[in-house]
Amino acid sequence: MLNAILPHKEINLKSLFSFEKTPFNLIMTAVTILLLTFFFTGFIQYVIHGHHAYGVTKEHPWGLLIAMYIFFVVSSTGLCIISSLGHVFHIKSFEFIGKRAIFGAIITIVSGFCVIGLEIGHPIRMVIYNTISPGFTSAIWGMGALYSVYLFLIIMEFIFLSRNEHKWSKFFGLGGLLIGVAAHSNLGAVFGFLVGRPLANGVFYPVYFILSAMITGCYLLFLMYGYKYKMQFNDEMKTFLMHLGRLLGLLIAILIFFEFWRFLTAIYGRVPQRSDTALHILHSGNFWFGEVLLGMLIPFGIILYSKAKAIKATIYASLGGMIGIFFMRYDLVHDTLLYPMQTMKLKEYQLAPSWVEYVPTVTEWSIALGSLGICLALYYIGENFFFLDPDKEDDYFKHYVADEA
Amino acid sequence: MAKYAMVLDYKNCINCKACEVACKEENGVLLGEHYHRIWVGVNPIKGVYPDLSIASNAFYPSQCQHCENAPCQDVCPTQATHYDENGVVQVDESKCILCSYCMVACPYDARYVDERSMTIDKCSFCSDTRLARGLTSTACQATCPTKVRVFGDISDPTSEISMILKTREYFTLKASLGTEPKLFYLK
Repeated sequence: MLNAILPHKEINLKSLFSFEKTPFNLIMTAVTILLLTFFFTGFIQYVIHGHHAYGVTKEHPWGLLIAMYIFFVVSSTGLCIISSLGHVFHIKSFEFIGKRAIFGAIITIVSGFCVIGLEIGHPIRMVIYNTISPGFTSAIWGMGALYSVYLFLIIMEFIFLSRNEHKWSKFFGLGGLLIGVAAHSNLGAVFGFLVGRPLANGVFYPVYFILSAMITGCYLLFLMYGYKYKMQFNDEMKTFLMHLGRLLGLLIAILIFFEFWRFLTAIYGRVPQRSDTALHILHSGNFWFGEVLLGMLIPFGIILYSKAKAIKATIYASLGGMIGIFFMRYDLVHDTLLYPMQTMKLKEYQLAPSWVEYVPTVTEWSIALGSLGICLALYYIGENFFFLDPDKEDDYFKHYVADEA
Repeated sequence: MAKYAMVLDYKNCINCKACEVACKEENGVLLGEHYHRIWVGVNPIKGVYPDLSIASNAFYPSQCQHCENAPCQDVCPTQATHYDENGVVQVDESKCILCSYCMVACPYDARYVDERSMTIDKCSFCSDTRLARGLTSTACQATCPTKVRVFGDISDPTSEISMILKTREYFTLKASLGTEPKLFYLK
């Protein structure tokens, strides 16, 4: 019955969880179990202590979990956009990534929802009142509504891709792409609409979110295919990864250009609050080491130097790139909240004005890192349960077809 | 329908913090929650002894600005934050999902998490306490020994607050943001 709706492999639980005992697979298994344990521990802490288990404060009400949620939804939108290059826009070398990329988009957004479910104080109330008392002027409302539709559309897209019904997969793929871009730029607007935060306020974030999503999608595809093919690629795969590398290089170049002008315009003229905050960010290690070096310069340098031919090096750089993307998401939240809003309270009780501090607690780290375990576990299950590659490349599919015959 | 607002003759403030105590007692703000709901900002004396600027030393009592164009109301996804019939920005705690977006969006840092209901709270001009009991003043106003605050209806041209706003110069905080606060500081 399920097979008629969504083709999948007929495997039992035992075979689902048996795998080749190579050192790498064992390490990945141990890491996944450890991360899932972290998530469970963090979840229990949250159930017992609620928001008190988090390091967020009145002045810094958003923290690591919001950053991690953004990290996941950025990944999801990025995978959706890059996959659409193939099965929506028919760029030939990208056509075969459809199912794997869309499956990646589904599990990353599901992981993101797991995180945000533990950040929102009243998630059930959210579902009820987002529906019966919607705040249409709220970017959070728009983002929530659009991401829900987006998740539905990409699930439908995955189903029709799996069934090789490409007319419908293209229909839902285009819908998913448009709604995904709308949802994601809306997430940028959550920050861009903050009139009281000059560095965040404006057009930059809604546009930047789409760009950085595409970069994240490229990094993740490098990692997914590097892992899938154990760094041994056939010619078709090499062509795809080279094209992906060139696209990634172009996108990073645009991002560097964006960031340069963003900071120059923020500092120029020394407008109070905006320039102070920008200068403060430029003095932080997170920005230079995380965002610039890992997130931009190293991958860009490798792609530029090798003309996108150094595929293995780019895959390793993509791992660093994802760490850089994490820093970008964390800094996005922290930098927005850096400047104290207490106009008349800056020097309350004779304290010198200072930047708002925030240190994530162990619980926040447990949930944030643990959510990566959810993503890895879902990916493993999907890899073994669904057909994520084109039929001709799927060993199981050959047997499946033969058995059916 | 009234249009409630508040005037603060902040130069009369002596930083006794009676307003903070009265507000927190009246509205049940938990102990230890400094800077919450109401506060007195202190501008320290500038300069190095003996070259000190006494004029720079000032106290700035403040709270929610009850903006006419409130960013917190715009960003609320469930309309928990809304204007009541008197133009006062209120929070319906049964609708608040604790997403904290209003805390991020408020340019005046006037919002906080009420640990009792685990929802966002803020100054309500004592609407659900003193005004609900038929009184016409807020706790912070009633207790102030130097009469810094005047609370009232600015839609009534004969009210005390309207008369003050007609006769005294005033400013509002972060006016450039277009939030149109209804807390007026007298010059």
